[in-house]
Amino acid sequence: MSLSYRIAYVFLRNLYSYKRFVLPTFLVSLVEPVFYLVTFGIGMGAYMGAFGGKPYLDFLVPGVLASTAMMSASFECLYGTFVKIVHERVYDSLVATPVSADDAVAGDIAWGSFRGLVSGGLMMIVALIMGVVPAAAWRAAVLVVFMVLVGVLFGSLAMIVTSVSPSFDFFNYYTELVITPMLFFSGVFFPLDNFPAWMKVLAEFLPLTHAVRISRAVFTGATAPGLGWSLALVVAITAAAFLVSIRMMRKRLIK
Amino acid sequence: MATLVKAAGLTKKYGDLVAVAGIDFEIAEGECFGFLGPNGAGKTTTVRMIHCVSPVTAGTLTVGGLPSGVDNRALKMITGVIPQEINLDNDLTVEENLIIFARFFDIGRREARARIAELLRFVELEAKASCKISDLSTGMKRRLLIARALINRPRLIVADEPTTGLDPQARHLIWQRLRQLKTQGATLVLTTQYMEEAQQLCDRLVVMHQGRILKEGTPSRLVEDEIGREVIEIRTPPEGDGRILEHLAGFGCAHERVGDTLYIYCRDGHGLMKKLLELDLPNTLNRPATLEDVFLKLTGRSLHE
Repeated sequence: MSLSYRIAYVFLRNLYSYKRFVLPTFLVSLVEPVFYLVTFGIGMGAYMGAFGGKPYLDFLVPGVLASTAMMSASFECLYGTFVKIVHERVYDSLVATPVSADDAVAGDIAWGSFRGLVSGGLMMIVALIMGVVPAAAWRAAVLVVFMVLVGVLFGSLAMIVTSVSPSFDFFNYYTELVITPMLFFSGVFFPLDNFPAWMKVLAEFLPLTHAVRISRAVFTGATAPGLGWSLALVVAITAAAFLVSIRMMRKRLIK
Repeated sequence: MATLVKAAGLTKKYGDLVAVAGIDFEIAEGECFGFLGPNGAGKTTTVRMIHCVSPVTAGTLTVGGLPSGVDNRALKMITGVIPQEINLDNDLTVEENLIIFARFFDIGRREARARIAELLRFVELEAKASCKISDLSTGMKRRLLIARALINRPRLIVADEPTTGLDPQARHLIWQRLRQLKTQGATLVLTTQYMEEAQQLCDRLVVMHQGRILKEGTPSRLVEDEIGREVIEIRTPPEGDGRILEHLAGFGCAHERVGDTLYIYCRDGHGLMKKLLELDLPNTLNRPATLEDVFLKLTGRSLHE
């Protein structure tokens, strides 16, 4: 492992490149939460009654914060990184400088996490405007930190997929077979309580389930059973995925 | 002169494929050293090991006394790479490409600004500073690659086929700049398939083929030793070879038949041409021997793909 402060330089490179796409990506990142919160929250929520004494939106928002961070970070480290390796050959020029391949990959994961945070942050702002607020102001700050962690987690997992991907098409397996199902079986849109026992067990194997559980507990202030366990698991998977992704990308980049 | 790069038994394998098969060479500080060879000869693989982006499979390779390795940031700090493929950052402008690269080398903001202005002048791109990369011609892109490679004021410059795909004007401009860098004291490592380029730039060179070094020397020495001074090309059907060679037996020249042409390598082209006139052949050409003759003689004339 050859990591250094140069991770920041790679992040900076992405920031420079991002300047040109800020407006379109902000628009997309804004439209998405509005779409989620309006259709699911208001449209569907009207039929759902109260969730533990609160409107459905209060249940939905913390879940969607985690899933949005997941989506943005994943896509950035799948498509974004792949383009930089194969099409634009940015990595080729990077590794010939004192920036190591490991720095480059870590910098891109950090970037993916940042993109997740931007999307999640915009979502939070829209939610605040709609009157869905965390139980206390400091909880919003904790959520911001947590979204960074969620971004690193799913950015690293996506990076592992990218490290073995021969082409764009390969990403469909991951997004359609892993990411999309995870979105629906992790308690983002509805509680897992009514699932049969085996599905509940299955859900415990999905990292997003734990991310959503933590996000919701932080947002609402209501503790949930197994919260400490969830946090430990998220941290452990993040660390493992990060290390594995750097190792595997190294194999792809250095020949 | 002090040795800057030293390789002994340098080997690179990709699985079962041997790309570089145990080669030895030394590059002196301040010289321009060329790697010549057909596609797949192992030139690029060799220079990639020199500038620390490809791990050495076996043997030793040192630059400035330090062993080359992918995590050797100290060596990367003193090396500038002009890559074969144009890998400029298309999301960034000309100037931003250089700003970011300056960061990669820990160059401070103010220092970077000064160097960038100087380098853009050096490669004649001052007017393009805020252009997008996609608005540049291939020649401009190649020049920007040179500027980018120089941002850290490298002691060692590695240029991997730096003029591929350029028109003569652009090519000559790049040659001039590379020569200028050498006079400023940089060590230049060059790979090329263009014999003229090698002759123009290299103090010494090696001819590589199938991962091995076939010959080493100065360009003129190699031509002299391998070919002689002059070449006579006779375009004639092979049936007549016996008669021609018998006629020229007194000169003791080497010859080679390739397709429709009989090549005769000699020192006394004038005398030989005179003698040839007696045969009244329709299509004969007498020219000085070049590095290209050496290259083709050493690496063969069949296609390398």
